[in-house]
Amino acid sequence: MIRHSHHNHSASIRMTFILWLLTFVSISFGAHEVSARDAQLVADLSENSVSIESDFHGTELLLFGAIDGMQGDDIIIVVRGPDVKIAQRRKSKVAGIWINVETNIWTKTPSFYQILATRDLAKIADEDTLQTLGVGAHNLALQIAPEKDPIETGLPMPTVNGMVGELTANMSKIGLWGAKVDTITLKEGALFRSVIDLPSNVLSGLYDVRIIHMRDGMVLSEDNASITINKGGLSATIYNMAHQYSFFYGLFAVIFAIAAGWLAAALFRKK
Amino acid sequence: MHIGIIIGLGGGVGFLSGLFGVGGGFLMTPLLIFFGVPPVVAVATEANQIVASSVSGVLAHMRRSNVDFKMGTILLIGGVIGSTLGVFLFALLRELGQIDLVIKLSYVVLLGIVGSLMLAESVRAILRTRQPGAARGKLHQHNWLHGLPFKMRFRRSKLYISALLPLGIGAFVGVLAAIMGVGGGFIMVPAMIYILGMPTAVVVGTSLFQIIFVTANVTILQSVQTQTVDFVLAGLLLFGAVIGAQFGTRAGAKLRGEQLRGLLALMVIAVCVKLGFDLALHPASLYSVELLK
Repeated sequence: MIRHSHHNHSASIRMTFILWLLTFVSISFGAHEVSARDAQLVADLSENSVSIESDFHGTELLLFGAIDGMQGDDIIIVVRGPDVKIAQRRKSKVAGIWINVETNIWTKTPSFYQILATRDLAKIADEDTLQTLGVGAHNLALQIAPEKDPIETGLPMPTVNGMVGELTANMSKIGLWGAKVDTITLKEGALFRSVIDLPSNVLSGLYDVRIIHMRDGMVLSEDNASITINKGGLSATIYNMAHQYSFFYGLFAVIFAIAAGWLAAALFRKK
Repeated sequence: MHIGIIIGLGGGVGFLSGLFGVGGGFLMTPLLIFFGVPPVVAVATEANQIVASSVSGVLAHMRRSNVDFKMGTILLIGGVIGSTLGVFLFALLRELGQIDLVIKLSYVVLLGIVGSLMLAESVRAILRTRQPGAARGKLHQHNWLHGLPFKMRFRRSKLYISALLPLGIGAFVGVLAAIMGVGGGFIMVPAMIYILGMPTAVVVGTSLFQIIFVTANVTILQSVQTQTVDFVLAGLLLFGAVIGAQFGTRAGAKLRGEQLRGLLALMVIAVCVKLGFDLALHPASLYSVELLK
């Protein structure tokens, strides 16, 4: 297992290289006739925890892996962050200005959802396969919380058709969701590498990484890995203080301001 | 947001507040919004910064005993009530997804009024200097407001008026402090002169005294209710503002008042128009998202 760590202070971007434990099953033994049955993908993370510091402007995770495949095979990598509730608001023009007129609350929705693939998902597999795999935001069975209890009122659950597209557009804009094709390079049908962008607004928590090996629109193998992201450093500490000890945080902010104001007056007092 | 931009913004607004003797909260909050700070964070953080600038301001006025503590106490009781209500209203509007709109609309209305009044005043002042001998109006007149109950004597201000008046003014300004992240001096000072009839010398010191407590109350309540106070941002803005204000004060001593006030009025109106225009402009996306926990 080899691990490289490179610190680039000027760019303030920390590159964390994650090397996969490469398990070559039969490459060196000349597997010329690889059938779907014995095609394998075995991967492991050498580092399963990423600490993000206060000067965080985003991090890139470099993924390496190996499959027992052949030329023309495809790989899909899905990175999913911790689930949250998301409020999605729709604006409409009222009396000449744009006002939020409707709010949808999405329940148990991934805060981070990135898909990486060797090429366009539609070329890798058909929609039914992707749906079975649960790949793509529209295949996640996301739900909007009903305004009233559906059991009490007998009303159906709100429909999400069309709304997932809007949610995807919004989440992509803030860099948390996305699908990036041609972002995995697969060499000789055996070695692959890709880069996952983690923007500065990612949440702390457990991130699930799915690696799917595809051939001719069929799944050959799949592996899972996980990364724990911890936001450390000063700004994360302050953020945690503000949320966990909010009264003392406010009190401190006031005391700090009084001291700063007094200091400024003392420094610039007219003689 | 880059640290240099934040300090520069603090310095620029600090310079203007030193130059014109205004608090600057009503300019800083919209500017922070223009630079992409979420309106809720801009408002709560500005309240935090104003605590500091009011403390340094009030110390100078206390040395000259230009603070009417009794009047200030009645104003601040009103202010604490008003700002407490304001923060609860703020939290409610935030839950409804309407807080950004209310903040921006309040600014459009307030900056529009303040800007046009200031512009009219400075135009009149410029005309007056050209036409010497123009009569000044009476400072204040007795009206129904002076017939209200709970009369109190304010020795420092040489007034015998109903306590309900400063209480009401304080409460109104307190609501503004909570929703808009302003000290409210630009409303309180004219109200103290024209409605209460306080002597001009004690007005600024007394209003600063009240603003400290009201913005401190807003800072703590916003921290508890909405977690939108960013004291690092407040500290950086303050750092820039303290330096900027020193240069502003020096520059103000050398420059002519009326033209400068006219210029400030035009800036206030420009900010108001920009905010209003952004509200009317077709948004890039009709949908917006917010991650809830």
